[in-house]
Parts: sequence; structure tokens; C-alpha cells
Amino acid sequence: MKTKVTKEEGKITIAFIGRLDTPAAQEVNPVINELMEEADKTIIIDCKEMAYISSSGLRIFLTLRKAAEDKKGKVIIENINDEIRSVFMMTGFLNLFEIR
Amino acid sequence: MNLKEHTKKLAEKEEKRRSKWTGLLLILIAVAFLEAISVVQAFYAQKGIRSEAQTKAESQLNSIKSGILNVVNQAESAVRNNVWLAQWSLMVPDSLANIPKLIVNNNPIVAGSTIAMVPNYYKKRPLYSPYTAITNGEIIETSLATEEYDYPSQEWFTKPIELDRGYWSEPYIDTGGGEILMTTYSVPVKDNKGRIAAVLTADIDLEWLKALVNDIQIYPGAFSTVVSRTGRLMVSPEDSLIMNTTIDEYASKVEDTASFNALNRAMLSRKSGSIRVTQNGKKNMVYYTPIDKTGWAMNIIIPEKEMFAGLKKLNNLIRLLQLLGLLLIVLIFRSIAKSQLRFKSISDKKEKMENELKIASDIQMSMIPKTFPPFPEREDIDLSAALVPAKEVSGDLYDFFIRDEKLFFCIGDVSGKGVPASLLMAVTRSLFRSVGAHNNNPNEIVSTMNNSLSDMNESNMFVTFICCVLDLKTGKMQYSNAGHNAPLLFTDRMSELPVNPNLPLGVIRNWEYSVQEVTLRYDDAIFLYTDGITEAENINHELFGIERLKKTLSGKKAAQAHLNNVKKAVAEFVGEAPQSDDLTMLFFHFLNASAKGGGEQSITLENNVNEIRKLEKFISEVAQQMQLAESVKTSLNLAMEEAVSNAILYSGSKTVEVAAQTGKDEITFTITDSGKPFDPTAVPEADVNQDAAERPIGGLGIFLYRKIMDSVTYKRLNDKNILTLTKRLN
Repeated sequence: MKTKVTKEEGKITIAFIGRLDTPAAQEVNPVINELMEEADKTIIIDCKEMAYISSSGLRIFLTLRKAAEDKKGKVIIENINDEIRSVFMMTGFLNLFEIR
Repeated sequence: MNLKEHTKKLAEKEEKRRSKWTGLLLILIAVAFLEAISVVQAFYAQKGIRSEAQTKAESQLNSIKSGILNVVNQAESAVRNNVWLAQWSLMVPDSLANIPKLIVNNNPIVAGSTIAMVPNYYKKRPLYSPYTAITNGEIIETSLATEEYDYPSQEWFTKPIELDRGYWSEPYIDTGGGEILMTTYSVPVKDNKGRIAAVLTADIDLEWLKALVNDIQIYPGAFSTVVSRTGRLMVSPEDSLIMNTTIDEYASKVEDTASFNALNRAMLSRKSGSIRVTQNGKKNMVYYTPIDKTGWAMNIIIPEKEMFAGLKKLNNLIRLLQLLGLLLIVLIFRSIAKSQLRFKSISDKKEKMENELKIASDIQMSMIPKTFPPFPEREDIDLSAALVPAKEVSGDLYDFFIRDEKLFFCIGDVSGKGVPASLLMAVTRSLFRSVGAHNNNPNEIVSTMNNSLSDMNESNMFVTFICCVLDLKTGKMQYSNAGHNAPLLFTDRMSELPVNPNLPLGVIRNWEYSVQEVTLRYDDAIFLYTDGITEAENINHELFGIERLKKTLSGKKAAQAHLNNVKKAVAEFVGEAPQSDDLTMLFFHFLNASAKGGGEQSITLENNVNEIRKLEKFISEVAQQMQLAESVKTSLNLAMEEAVSNAILYSGSKTVEVAAQTGKDEITFTITDSGKPFDPTAVPEADVNQDAAERPIGGLGIFLYRKIMDSVTYKRLNDKNILTLTKRLN
């Protein structure tokens, strides 16, 4: 699992490349912790190259979402594939996130 | 087989022949035994009869003797009582003539009497013997002192003087008054000086003796003789011989002279006894005894024929009875022998045979596993088998065993019946065990068995056989058929397991047996059987058939229940008809929950979150095998990751085992860990409608797999958490 963080004015884009499974979620934890510091901004989660997500990944998303809420920031999820969409659907994430 | 029958026939023939001779011998022995009894009995009977005859004869002799002695004593008394008178009368010679007159008058038995003076006792009368006789009731007084008679030289006169005592003369025929047998008793008379002066006599008529002797007839044909001291016959059945013949003369004339001489000597030497003599070719017993005082002897002659006439009658009767008895024995013996032969040829032989077959059957039955359930500790195996032999031992077999988590099972049917078939069955079964001990490939097992059986098969028997090797983990079953009928396979429906026929075992060496494969899933079953079931015949010669079998086996039941139903159905169908063939069957119900799909694959993960990658690979492979859609694969992966990662992260178990059982329509995963108990199904379902602030960070995983999977069950077994997740496909 790779992550690619792109910081622009007022927004940070994090792209998950590969499978965001449980071990991956642990791997990316440091990156997410850093990202949490900047939750006052708009965080765009790019799922274009993310093939898979498990609850650990969802937890990351949710953690980010909560942090953003606290810090008056925003989390936007982009480019989810059908499988992930269905997971989001199942878990109600479709309603929690702004998905583009 | 032919040789065996031939030998058997020869043995039977020999036995028949032997029993015939034994019978004959027994009869001969019986005859000899009865004859011996006859002889012994005759011996003792003869002895008895002889002793009886002797008793009879002796009593007859004694009776005659006492009759004679009675007369003799009277006569002697008649004389002696007058001796004193004579002595006194010597003084008055003329008075002497009164004495004989007195004796004759007073004693009826005395026919005549005299007192004969010793010559020259009286000078005046040198010879003097006044005599009185009674002839035809008329008393005649006369004198014996005549020149022609010369009384002093007569025996009756000389002997008493010589002996100086009373003396019975030799009997004689008196011709004075007819031919009368007479004897004379004479006693010397002494004067007062002690000199013998005269002899006083009494003549006794012996006609009474004949009457007395011939009076008693103890046996027909028996007779008595009386002989004088010189051996002259006084009484004899032949009148012409009386006083004319001595017994010595008689003896010299008969054929058995020796015996007669012996008899004569004994009689003349005044002995008592008995002797056997032959007269006119017939044997006679002679009992003899002397008669006191007179010097006579008498005997009784009894023809043995008459003596033993009763015995002979008795003997004949006994022999007749014995003969009848023997005949009866022979008849009984024959009927017993016959029935025994029949018994031998049918019942006895049969019984013996059945006994042996029973033993063989017991041995045979002891070789195949008979305890059901055979693996009570295993939940994945419901297996039962039955072998119901037709009357005798059979050539059917089944067997099964587990090695390396593989169930080896087989069924077979040896051609033919009886002991040869059962022997081949035993060989087949032990081959199965020995080859199966180190080979997992059913076709190789069958091939090896075939070669062994072909090598030893001189009787051209063969075995139809199916060998199955089931991987108990995966449900993958390989099997190889050797000419046996197709088993029934129970999946979601009932079908015949496709089998290559190949060839029965023992037919052609080095035949290459093909192997086939089927995957059993949880709850699938297989039914192996021999054609004894489908070919069970009722009295109308209808066959039970596969359709009835299928009908009987319909419905989900335990293996044993299925077998019982089949047995019952066949028995009801067959009814009164005898069971023609063995009923052999094996029902295996596969209950490995891990094999709900048709194969189990599993992976053991360590307590490391990175092991999730292995899980992903594992799930992908399973999905690949099942050719599942990508989306399905992903969701399965997700669900499993959630479940397994929970186990890895929170259970504390060192390892987590994940098994996948794939089926046609579903896939089931079993996650087993030995960590602390945790039942995710008891966790309340997450509320996915909460907004972000309210939602807990955790709990999504459980929610996800419960959402994705169609069923999630949890059990805690043997200190293990067992989570089973099933996803229906399509």
C-alpha cells in the first residue's frame, strides 16, 4: 500500500494506491496521524488506484472525518470503484462522506 | 471342485461299504453271542437235567430198593424168628417138619420152606429135609432129601454153613409150579453145643420184584434191571434174558462193550454211581446201586434222548425266540443303519457341512469390521455396513479404514459361493488392507490386488470390486472400479456414480485400472452394494431391482437407518423365497462441515496482522477455483479479512485456522482460533445510520461480515472459537 499526499492551498489530497486492508491501515497510520494535524483543511481522499478497502481503511476514513469535523475541516472521497462503493453503501459511509 | 466331489463320493462309497461290513460283522457277532448263550445255557440246563435225572433215578432206585428190602426183611424175619424154635426142635426130630409149615403159613411172601439137616446129624436119618411149599394156594408137604436133588450140595445149604450166617441164594427159575423166579434165604441153625445142625430156609417168589421195578416210569423208555451177585439178570425188559444171561455176556454182545463192562464191574463190586452207555446207537445214562443183604444190584437206564426231551423242546423254543430276537435286531439295525445313512447323506452331512460353514462364516464375519458406528469419535463420518450372508458363507466383502485422514473403503463380490468363495474373499480383504496400508491411489491398490489375485487364481474365480479413497478433509474421493456395479451417489439428488467397468480382479494380470474422482460435500453420501440386493428374488422370480432400492434409500437418514430399511425392504420383497445371494452394502454419509462445498482448503495464520495477506491470497485462490465473480471475491475477502483480523488482533490466539469449503451453491469459511472466547454474533449490529460523530470507530468489521455473509454462526468448542461464515452464491 502506498500513499501519495499532495498538499495544495487549503486542501490536502491523499491517494491510496493498492489495497487498504488491515495491515495496510497499520502501515499508513503515521501518514494519517500527520494528516490529522491538518484536518482543518479540506482533505481529499483519492481512491482511484485503491482496489480494496476493509474496515480498517474505513476506520481511517472515519477517523479523518471526525478530526475534520472537530477542526471545521472537510473530507471528500473521490473516484471510488463499485466494490468500494458497495462497501460504503453497506456501512452507511455514502451518507457520511462527500463522495465525488 | 470335481476332484473334491469325486473324493467325497469315494469316501461316501467307502463309508457305505464299511458300514455294510460293519453291519454284517455285528450280526455275526450277535449270532455268535446268542449261540454262546445257547451253549452255556444248554450246558447248565443239561447239567441241571442230569442232576435232576440223577436225583430222580436215585430216588427211584431207593424206592425200589426199599421195596425189595421190605420183602427181604420180611423173609429174613420169617426165617430168623423160627431159628430158636428150630434149635429147640432139634431135640425132637419129628417135630422139625412143623417149622417150615409154620413159616409158609404165617408168611405170605414165603413160597416154600425147609429145614435141612446137616447130613448125618441124626444117625438114624443121615439126610433129612422136610419141605413145605404153597403152590396155587395149596400147601404141599414133601421132603427135599432125595437122591436126585442132593440138597447138601445145593448152594442155599452150603453157603450159610460156610459163611456161618444168613445167606440169600442165587435166584433161580423154579419149574415146580410154572416158571417162577425164586430165591432162597437160608440161615444156619446151631444146636446147644454150638454146632451147625441144620439150615432153615424160606423160598421167596420174586415175581413181585418185576412188578415193583417196572412200576415207576420216571422217563419214557427208561427201565431198570436187577442183577444177582453173579451178574445174572433177574429183572430185565427182555424176559428171554432173565436168568439166562449174565451181564458180562450181554456186554460182550453190545457195541459199547467197554462201557457196559465198566458198568458191570461197578455193579458187581457193589458200588453206587452212574455211567453213560450206548445201546443201539443211542446214548443212555445208567444209574446203579447195590441192594443190601441180597448181594443184588440194580440200575435204571434212561435214554438221554428222553432225558433231554424237555430240554430239547425248551432249547428249540429258546432258539426260536433268539432267532426272532436276532431277526428283530437285524431289522432294527438295518432300519437304523438306513436312516443313519440317509441322515448321513442328508442331514448329518449337511449339519456337519453347515457347522463347518458356520465356523467359516464366523471367521469371515470376524474379518470385516462389524462395530457400528465404526468411528464414534468422528463427527464427519456416518458409516455403516452390513453383510447378510445367504444360507452359507459368502464371497462378499466390505471393508474400510482410516489412514492419514483418508477413508479407504471397498466392497467386493467373489464369484461363486461357499467355502472357496469365502477363502478368496478373505484373501481379497487382506490384500486390500495390506496394499491400502501404504498406497493412497485406488487404481494402484486395485491393480496390485489384481496382480496378486491373478497369480494365485487357479480356480478361475474372480472378484468384482470397488476401491474408494476419500480425503476426509476435502471430500475429494478417488475410486477405481473392478467390474463391480455402480454405487449410488447422494448429493442434492440420487444418481449412480459413474464408474468405468474395467475388469474384475483376478482375471487378467497387469490390467490397467483407471481411476475416477468425485468430490463429496457435506451431507453427501455414497451407497456401495452387491448385486445380491438388486437381484434378490421373490417367489415369482421377480428381482428387487434398482428402482426399489432407490425408492428405499430416498430421504435423509442415518447410514444405519438406510441399511435397516434396505434389509427390511428386501426381506419383505423376497418373502418366503430363500435368500439366494448375500446382501452386502455400505452406506457412507459424509458429514464434514468443512466440506460443505466439495472441498476443503485451509490455511493457518499466525498472530500477525500481515498474515492477512496470506488470507487474501487464499481467498483469491478459492474464489479462482470456484470461478467466482470479482465482486464476490472482493466481498468474500472483505468479510474474511474482518473476521480473521479480529481473531488475529484481539483473540490472543497464536494461530488462526481458516478453512474454506466450497460447494456448488455456497462457500463456507470456518475460522478457528484458540484465543479468548468471543462471540461476534452476540454483538449488536452497528447502526449505520448514525452520523459520523456518534459512530464508534470499531464494530464495523463484524458488521461487514455479517452483512456480506448469508450466515454467521459461532460456537465455542474444545476451548476454541469456531466461526462459520457461509455465503450463498448466485
